[in-house]
Amino acid sequence: MADSVRTQGLFKRFGEQVAVGGVDLVVPKGSFTGLVGPNGAGKTTTLSMITGLLRPDGGVIQIDGVDVWQDPVVVKANIGVLPEGLRLFERLSGRELLSYNGQLRGIPKAEVDRRAEELLKVMDLVEAADKLVVDYSTGMRKKIGLAAALLHNPAVLFLDEPFEGVDPVSANTLVEVLRRYTASGSTVVFSSHVMDLVERLCDWVSVMNRGRIVAQGPLAEVRGERGLNQAFLDLVGVRNGGGEGDGLSWLGAAQA
Amino acid sequence: MAGSGTGVVQGATRGLTANATIGLFVRLKLRLIAGNLRGDLARQLGFAFTVALAVIVAAGGFFMMSLLRFGSPDLARDVGIIAFTMIFLSWAVVPLLLFGVDDTLDPAKLALFPVRSGPLTAGLFAASATGAWPLAGLIVMAGAVAGVARTAQGAVLGVAAVLVLFALCLVTSRAITTGLSGVLRSRRGRDLLAVSAILVVLALQIPNLMLNQGLSADPEALVGSVAAMMRWTPSGMAAHAIADGGAAGLAEVAALAVLVALVGWLWMVALRRALVTTDASTQAGGKVRRSRGVAGLLPDGPVAAVVAKDLKYARRDPRGRISWLAAIMVSGVISYSLTQDSELPSTLATAVGPACLGALVMGMQSANSFALDGRALWMNAVVYGSGRALRADLAGRHLAVALLAGPLIALVSIVTAILSGTPIWAVPAMLTAWGLFAVALGVGAIISVLCPYTAPERLNAFTGAAPGQGGVAFAGALLAMVVSSVVALPVVVPVVLGLPWASLAALPYGLLIAWAGRRMAGHIGYARFPEILSAVSRPT
Repeated sequence: MADSVRTQGLFKRFGEQVAVGGVDLVVPKGSFTGLVGPNGAGKTTTLSMITGLLRPDGGVIQIDGVDVWQDPVVVKANIGVLPEGLRLFERLSGRELLSYNGQLRGIPKAEVDRRAEELLKVMDLVEAADKLVVDYSTGMRKKIGLAAALLHNPAVLFLDEPFEGVDPVSANTLVEVLRRYTASGSTVVFSSHVMDLVERLCDWVSVMNRGRIVAQGPLAEVRGERGLNQAFLDLVGVRNGGGEGDGLSWLGAAQA
Repeated sequence: MAGSGTGVVQGATRGLTANATIGLFVRLKLRLIAGNLRGDLARQLGFAFTVALAVIVAAGGFFMMSLLRFGSPDLARDVGIIAFTMIFLSWAVVPLLLFGVDDTLDPAKLALFPVRSGPLTAGLFAASATGAWPLAGLIVMAGAVAGVARTAQGAVLGVAAVLVLFALCLVTSRAITTGLSGVLRSRRGRDLLAVSAILVVLALQIPNLMLNQGLSADPEALVGSVAAMMRWTPSGMAAHAIADGGAAGLAEVAALAVLVALVGWLWMVALRRALVTTDASTQAGGKVRRSRGVAGLLPDGPVAAVVAKDLKYARRDPRGRISWLAAIMVSGVISYSLTQDSELPSTLATAVGPACLGALVMGMQSANSFALDGRALWMNAVVYGSGRALRADLAGRHLAVALLAGPLIALVSIVTAILSGTPIWAVPAMLTAWGLFAVALGVGAIISVLCPYTAPERLNAFTGAAPGQGGVAFAGALLAMVVSSVVALPVVVPVVLGLPWASLAALPYGLLIAWAGRRMAGHIGYARFPEILSAVSRPT
């Protein structure tokens, strides 16, 4: 299986703090990849650098064999991005946002409109299509963001925390769309803390901790016999807290 | 099990007394203020500056008010009435603009605490009085006791009047922010408030204009007539009571005290309602019209997309609305004041000057082109793979502002030419100003990629940039202004010196500069697009 995304020694520091310290990420083509890790592990920084939004301090990034920072025209035409924090054009309506995205990429207006209409329907956003994005709920924003990322039919999709703060109905819609997308041979890379979801959706997992990849491979291999959640906790080295004798003795129903 | 002997009961609270809440809220407010000292250097400096300013206002205000002692009793009373009314009005208006900055102002943040509305009101009241600015206001008002009172009874009554008026200021401002808290928290309310902030700035100019007009006539009569208008306002009554010092004054202070109780009761009612009303701020707003507008006439592609987006932002984003409103106002004021000055001889320069200044002001908006996109600019960044793409983007932005500024500049030119008495001068004025505007766009494109900064979504009076970027914003604006003016000199100077035909060259020259500016900005900007992206997406 060829690699869709491959990074070597990816490195980024902010001041004193090393956010990403030599990441060698591998994502096979056509895989549904989960990038998991605790807060501050460097997931967002890594995804930002791979998608060309943040300049790395060192390392190489290739998408389908093309270097992201050397040949951006080819790479940018082939990737779709949903960054963290729902940063969208707040004062456009959902429909206008899709239209803007498509036209910016040079897709003919009629084709943009056709695709936008279908995406709005699939994402269940037809009723809200003419409302401003600033008035959207979190779930709606994630859906319109995903629609915008899919509009130009990219080969690889990068999603930063696509399910964070999303209600179960919207999450289900997102999952259905993504499943259909990978079934056709396209690649999805998404970051998440929700292990159940990663376990359910992904066939490939990369675990990050403190700016490094600590485990990477097919889901079954990484999780072993333990289940992904336990495997993850073992990998990032969490002590078993929250038990007795750690304080909090007053918490719970009254004993007096 | 540990803890079983201490008798702790789940969810135990006895409810706080008024005294306890007062202490609690005063400490909370002090903590919130002290929190400013922990940020970065720019924030600390800003805080130190505000405190210093408050001290200066307090000391200076006290001194000025006490100087009234040496004026006639009537003048002292009238100035006191005006000063009190201004303080009272600022108490009513300023907290509205600060909503969301002062956490104690938003009742929704307190809804979950088990405090009854009585003690809560007392605590919030105390929190309102805490801080450098409330104290400065109180000190300035105390100065009036020294300056306006002419008898011992007046001074005693004055202390009471000032305290009662201060209390009235506090409860009024709380009643207003609490009553409007639902609106203030909604997106539409905030949009409206942002635009009305500029109306407040306008309103502040009114006394200025009145003074300018009145000073030439009789300042004392002017003060008298303004004070007469404010005589029966609560603040007017307080100042009058100090000057009066007799039974009438006592009645006025008593009336004010009743008013404090009444407004305080209204505030409690509003607070009780606000605490149990659901937050409707996330409920969706209306739909927008589906139309392609002017951009529909352009050929398909990135340029048309950017034009359409920017025209929508000028209309829908409060920041866009404000900057265009401000540009129109400034152009109007310049045009009016320059042509009304009868001392100046009416030359071609008087017709061309205002249009050019207006064009420069409107062109300045393009000196930080990416600011309105802000955090959403990544959408463009993940598409553009070359400097040429960024150049097309800038062309779209320029086209959008030109579509708005072009007609406005024409209007200013025509109006100014008519006011100056030679309507035909509108033609050279318009051509020259358009040329200057195009120059400003070209220069602005380069400044936009060299000195980008974040435009805060919540505007405030002190800065137009995110914390820590004030210097960049200032440098950018100054550079854009100076460089645009200098580059435009070759076409503007001949026209101003009386050669109207030279204006024919202005527009082609300006377009050339704009093209060259976009070309350079495309190159420089593409190379540092990730840096531009992070500069315009700072948290504010």
